[in-house]
Amino acid sequence: MMDTKRRNFLKSAAMAAAGSMVAGNMSLPVVQADQGVSDLPDGDGLSWNKAPCRFCGTGCHVQVGVEDGRVVAIAGDKAADVNKGLLCVKGYHVGGILYGKDRLTQPLLRKDGRLTEIEWDEAIEIIAKRIFDSPETFAFYGSGQWTIPEGYAAQKFMKGGLSNNHIDPNARLCMASAVTGFLATYGVDEPAGCYQDLDECDVLILWGNNPAEMHPVLFSRVTDRRSRGETVRIIDIGTRRTRTTDAANDYLEMKPHGDVAISLGIMHLLIENDNYDKSFVEKHCNFRGDEADTPTLSGEPISEDEFRKRIAKYTPERVEELSGVPADEIRMLADLFADRDIRITSLWCMGMNQHTMGTAINSLVHGVHLLSGHFGRPGDAPTSLTGQPSACGTVREVGTLSHALPGGRVIANPEHREQCEGFWNVRDGSINEVPGYHTVEMFERFTKPTAEGGDITTMLVQVTNPGQTLPNLNALFNDKKGLEDKFLIVSDVYPTATTALADLILPAAMWVEKNGMFGNSERRTQQWFKMVDPPGEARDDCWMTIAIARKLFEMGHEGMKDKDGDFIFAVKDDDGQEIPIWEFDRYYDTNVDKHLFEEYRLFTRMKHKNLAPYEEYVKARGLRWPVVEQEDGSWRETRFRFSGFDDPFVEEGQEFDFYHSTSNDGRAQIWFHEYQPPPEVPDDEYPMWLCTGRVLEHWHTGTMTRRLAPLNRAMPTAYVEMHLEDAKAANIRQGEVVTIESRRGVCDLPVWIDGRGRPPRGTVFVPFFDESKLINNVTLEAYDPFSKQPDYKKCAVRVVKKSAAKVSS
Amino acid sequence: MNRLTMIFLSLVIAVAVIGYFVGIGDGVPQPDGYYESSLVDAELSRTPADDAKLIPAISYAEIADTPMGPTKSWQTMPQALPDADYDLYTQIEPSEADKEASSKLRASRRAFNGAPPVIPHPVENTTDAACYACHSGGVKMAGMKPSVMSHQFLGNCVQCHAPMAPAPFQDVDADVATNFVGLPAPKQGERAYQGAPPTIPHSQWMRENCNACHGGPNGWAGMESTHPWRTNCTQCHAPSATLDQMPDAELFTPQDVPMLPSLDVVEN
Repeated sequence: MMDTKRRNFLKSAAMAAAGSMVAGNMSLPVVQADQGVSDLPDGDGLSWNKAPCRFCGTGCHVQVGVEDGRVVAIAGDKAADVNKGLLCVKGYHVGGILYGKDRLTQPLLRKDGRLTEIEWDEAIEIIAKRIFDSPETFAFYGSGQWTIPEGYAAQKFMKGGLSNNHIDPNARLCMASAVTGFLATYGVDEPAGCYQDLDECDVLILWGNNPAEMHPVLFSRVTDRRSRGETVRIIDIGTRRTRTTDAANDYLEMKPHGDVAISLGIMHLLIENDNYDKSFVEKHCNFRGDEADTPTLSGEPISEDEFRKRIAKYTPERVEELSGVPADEIRMLADLFADRDIRITSLWCMGMNQHTMGTAINSLVHGVHLLSGHFGRPGDAPTSLTGQPSACGTVREVGTLSHALPGGRVIANPEHREQCEGFWNVRDGSINEVPGYHTVEMFERFTKPTAEGGDITTMLVQVTNPGQTLPNLNALFNDKKGLEDKFLIVSDVYPTATTALADLILPAAMWVEKNGMFGNSERRTQQWFKMVDPPGEARDDCWMTIAIARKLFEMGHEGMKDKDGDFIFAVKDDDGQEIPIWEFDRYYDTNVDKHLFEEYRLFTRMKHKNLAPYEEYVKARGLRWPVVEQEDGSWRETRFRFSGFDDPFVEEGQEFDFYHSTSNDGRAQIWFHEYQPPPEVPDDEYPMWLCTGRVLEHWHTGTMTRRLAPLNRAMPTAYVEMHLEDAKAANIRQGEVVTIESRRGVCDLPVWIDGRGRPPRGTVFVPFFDESKLINNVTLEAYDPFSKQPDYKKCAVRVVKKSAAKVSS
Repeated sequence: MNRLTMIFLSLVIAVAVIGYFVGIGDGVPQPDGYYESSLVDAELSRTPADDAKLIPAISYAEIADTPMGPTKSWQTMPQALPDADYDLYTQIEPSEADKEASSKLRASRRAFNGAPPVIPHPVENTTDAACYACHSGGVKMAGMKPSVMSHQFLGNCVQCHAPMAPAPFQDVDADVATNFVGLPAPKQGERAYQGAPPTIPHSQWMRENCNACHGGPNGWAGMESTHPWRTNCTQCHAPSATLDQMPDAELFTPQDVPMLPSLDVVEN
């Protein structure tokens, strides 16, 4: 009732805004909050400082305007090479994320089902005690939004301190397949090129990617070239029309998993027409296949003849059958790749990564570029994008994955374990040799009763919201409810779907309320300083990890001591006195970030991902690794890895050198993988494809962006995009609420016909940002065998009219 | 028999006559009312005398005495050009009330000063071209005055400008509870003395086109320039190095500009 009233008010406010294009006195829509804050900002004493944006992996820098201890304004940072002064609608409003009225400000413990405020000391003690009592059943679930020092501290605490490898990040759901693709192809993770490729490419191919909404600053960097009179051909390969399609010259609509067939088809034609880059392949590439019964990331070497033989069946006609893209368009793509005079950049993100053939399709697209020689010249690049601000910096480089160690090392390698134990100065054999549980397995074991083999009993979640983002929530998360012996600890800034089931909630400081470092999609490491205080009792995630470790140290946990008996996170002042950084009011007596970063920096050299000293990042708007010291003492970043003209680690005189090659001969691998159909395809019972994804205005689970008025007003609800004919056939109207049903769960959503995206007949699309409409109750948890990344992009559903749904239930 | 033949023939003739007249029609359907008498009458009642476009027919005998050449409506006539809707030289006297109203309206569309304004209407998946149609040069239409783009042509308008909710979701409650308080717009630039040109109190980034707000027919009431005919704004109005994020701007306050050391003058 009140809602209707408020809605009407808002509606009239919006109409007033629309009508107020007529200059005159009108009632004003509520944009600028003015809610009882006594001293309003007036621009006096305003100071500006740099920080990377809190949201996606693009890594834009913003200038943060702070007055009287509050963030009051944001500007695009003109000195930043990534965004050159521009931002997107999320970035411009990033300052508001600190000020939602329901910020968590006090630790909350669930007692008899109700949340009660407790003090930090008690909270830390509860956590430490649970870990102390059963260290091997503890799991730490983190994030690509962890800052680099936060991730590093968590990594050292778990693997070095607790000898427990059950640490995994949400990035497992996001870019794990990109990692395995890079590893399989080049033997080392992360893109070789950088955003300069976007300025120099003649053709931009988007593989199931919608950068106009998800990486808008990068996309307009390309389309603005057109405004300046340059020609860029944009080819959009996708399963639905998006805002990116509007700017594309070609739209190739494919069936789910069609990308695998398309890439095989291009390679087949390049070989068939004998116009692949023979000299590049001869000098710099090997061929690989996955013929072993237990396929591995390094695969089996195969000859070029064998490769030709295997790929021969992927004729344009066969590819058309598998992918739905006309044979002539496959030929068009192959002809483009055959042309060495143009520069081609491929971009991809979740479309290729959230894929049960994720590793395969990533490797295949790298293979298309290698086979055609479209690699390593500015504008010639296969490039994966990331969705989180530090998926690269914290997860991929610090290695906060259940099988990894810092600096590109892996648990399976005894030498790597030994090196890490050396760096950390912990006793030999501290690092457990068995990899931990990856995300899906970790949650399976956490939500299964202990008696039935659910051997994770305590979980600490930091900076992420698995209660909304895990696939098939009914199987992987919702079952936690009612399990008495399972204890979920969640550190977050606002109430979320995850805190809803938490036993202990920790209020976290966020973004410029703390020091931090991020690493973006183009290998750029960025730094910022704390600018404002967190509200109430909210505290840094890094401090939480250190405080828990210190409590365990005090309780006598051997792992929290290094070889010399010191606390593993000990920070000493100039006089050699230990600074008690585990006491929050002393935490900022020193720059803990700097201490952790300087320690972490030593790990980065093995894989030639060298980082500069902390102070260099203070001065810069990020630096792209490898950053190498020059003779004059300055530090030089690297734009194009493996390319002789730019990469300092390429041997003198070499044009290209893949110096971490899995075949140890400086060559990259061109892979062959057979096409496989998706794990679940529509049938009579569930006749539609469901694809999930994101929208421009909201970032991931919307925890931050749904507390920003301009953004939430622009996109107030999740929806299901449907084709007009499908809607007509089911007698469904615009805006009508329908039920999306799969074999796993249901979700009610309003229908948007001919909405922002336009799926073809037989496909529906749902964004996952809305915590009140959890589409992940419906999605499938099937995952890629190498990367363990689930496929959120395709499963079978049916769309049921609400009245009909009621009858059947 | 004869009589029947007669009737039959008359019918045949009648059908033929009707058929003839139907046949000579062009078969093009006419809109309703086209043949209504008032219209037809008006058409028929036009005479050369009261309609300059009709040229009266003349006989061969009259040709010699009839002037040939442009008809009356084709002949030149001295004409007054219509008034321009905008006079560059109109005396502008910005009022405080106008300025206040404009500032409020401006602020209502921004989370803080410097934020790209929101779009106060839904955007139904139209392309950038649709935005430019009204917002590039600005138009006045039916009492509405779309804002002029204050910056250069950039692609993907909604990258920065958030629209209102899409049409099917306009009734969704989108209220958020926030304590965020944005930086307000500056009231005015600094003047070194009364009558001096004020400095520019905001960044020039994305506001390269001063006229978008300050001048021309699209200026905001209360913010318009009193001298819109002057075209080089920064000739007189100094921008701010800090707001414009000039390199190292933060190092130099107006009191602390790096200078050569003072002259070493020996006092005697």
